[in-house]
Amino acid sequence: MKSLHDFHPLVIFSYFFAVIGLTMFYMHPILLIISFTGATVTSFLLLKKSFLKSIKWLLPFMLVAAILNPLLIHEGETAILYINEQPITVEAIVYGFAASVMLIAIIFWFSAFNAVMTSDKFLYLFTKISPAVALLISLTMRLVPLFGHQIKKIMYAQRAIGMDPSSGSVWHRIKAGTRILSILISWALESAIETADSMKARGYGLKGRSTFSLFRFDRLDGFALSGIFILFIIQLLCSYFGWNEFYYYPTFSPIVWNGPMIFMTISYGILVSLPIFIEVLEAFKWRSLKSIN
Amino acid sequence: MSKKVISLIIFFVIIPIGILIGATLLEDGKYNLISMFVMVFACIPFFLSFERRKPDAREVLIIAVMSAITVAGRAAFAFIPAFKPMTALVAITGFKLGPEAGFLTGAVSAVTSNILFGQGPWTPFQMFTLGILGYIAGLLGKTKWMESKISLLFYGIFSGIMYSMLMDIWTVLSLGNGFSWIVYGSKIITAIPFTITYMISNVIFLWLLTKPIGDKLERLKIKYGVMQTT
Repeated sequence: MKSLHDFHPLVIFSYFFAVIGLTMFYMHPILLIISFTGATVTSFLLLKKSFLKSIKWLLPFMLVAAILNPLLIHEGETAILYINEQPITVEAIVYGFAASVMLIAIIFWFSAFNAVMTSDKFLYLFTKISPAVALLISLTMRLVPLFGHQIKKIMYAQRAIGMDPSSGSVWHRIKAGTRILSILISWALESAIETADSMKARGYGLKGRSTFSLFRFDRLDGFALSGIFILFIIQLLCSYFGWNEFYYYPTFSPIVWNGPMIFMTISYGILVSLPIFIEVLEAFKWRSLKSIN
Repeated sequence: MSKKVISLIIFFVIIPIGILIGATLLEDGKYNLISMFVMVFACIPFFLSFERRKPDAREVLIIAVMSAITVAGRAAFAFIPAFKPMTALVAITGFKLGPEAGFLTGAVSAVTSNILFGQGPWTPFQMFTLGILGYIAGLLGKTKWMESKISLLFYGIFSGIMYSMLMDIWTVLSLGNGFSWIVYGSKIITAIPFTITYMISNVIFLWLLTKPIGDKLERLKIKYGVMQTT
């Protein structure tokens, strides 16, 4: 068994693609709750403290969405009050709430995705799609910290000749800041040419060059990928048959617990809880290994 | 050869299948999903043409430098919401290095800054919006119009409105009701302070940076004979 971080980038990407796609697609309350719970637990397991910090602003956000929707949308049968002769309906309130649950679930899935899909994995996948653009992205990512470093150097040099951007009048600061930026850009463009020539000298763009990557697609990856694929196809088929349909307007459609619905709920639940399962299993394994030592 | 086949497969198989699934499965207004796909697919032709051309290493590096400056610019102004030099820097790249470089700088700086600051469902929207603003700037840069301050003012205002309107499509879709003009309108109205900040920051940065950065890029083009746009 591996931890979530150790799976092949393709597996990780396919998983989040499937789950985020389905989350954006399902408005059925039960499926929403499943995805929301899964997203919450997964991003908690992956992010721990920073996740707890990020949830503070969510409650007000949900309330705002629940209020905003009925003010804008006046569909629905059960009116609870009238503002300017426009009905405020229970359906619209619940819909607004459901939509905000969906949005937060998506945000949580993305934060888990950001935690697992580190830049090296992202670039590895992007290289397969578009090598030139992936090269652009990876160069850009390297240049950002390099520029930060260079800015400091330029700033120290400028300070020595009396152009300190952190002191003096506002106008002086702006002038000093612009000078630093200007010097940085001149330097960056010149050194870009140098880097490019050096790349060329080492055979950029020639045929038959191999690349190194840390990622190996092993049997467990294959197993996981086919599992995700099968569960995703099941969900697509279920949606094709319309088992996920749920109407908020004009009034809520009833939730029927028949065979198809149970089947869909369980298979969706399995798909959504895959990372939790993997992480918890890994945590137990880690603990038992530690206690042996 | 195999790359060509893959790009052909994307064009003639995956996009139609995506649209087909979109049309049949997603009939009851799952526009959030469809629009994300559309935004991703809208970027593909630009990436592919860059890929096909087998870009020179110098070209790649210059675009990467401009993207990195754009990303750093976003980070440098992180403490002021919406007041960012991103659009202006992408536009300047477009003016001087042409539409393709403008698009790539916009799209790449959007992805990269989201790799650094966190990806979200808005990434494809940002990629396409900044990209297309760079592309338009590149088309305008081929004319002589963009040398006056007044046309820079207009471009700053135009790109501020365009950025706000394109990104608000995502905001509306994220509310889940599908696309409705009423909600979109109300979003645009509530976003007015942001739109105005975008416009002001675009105009200020365009006025401040177009000449100095433009000159540096121009000098680079002459000195090394790269990225000639004619």
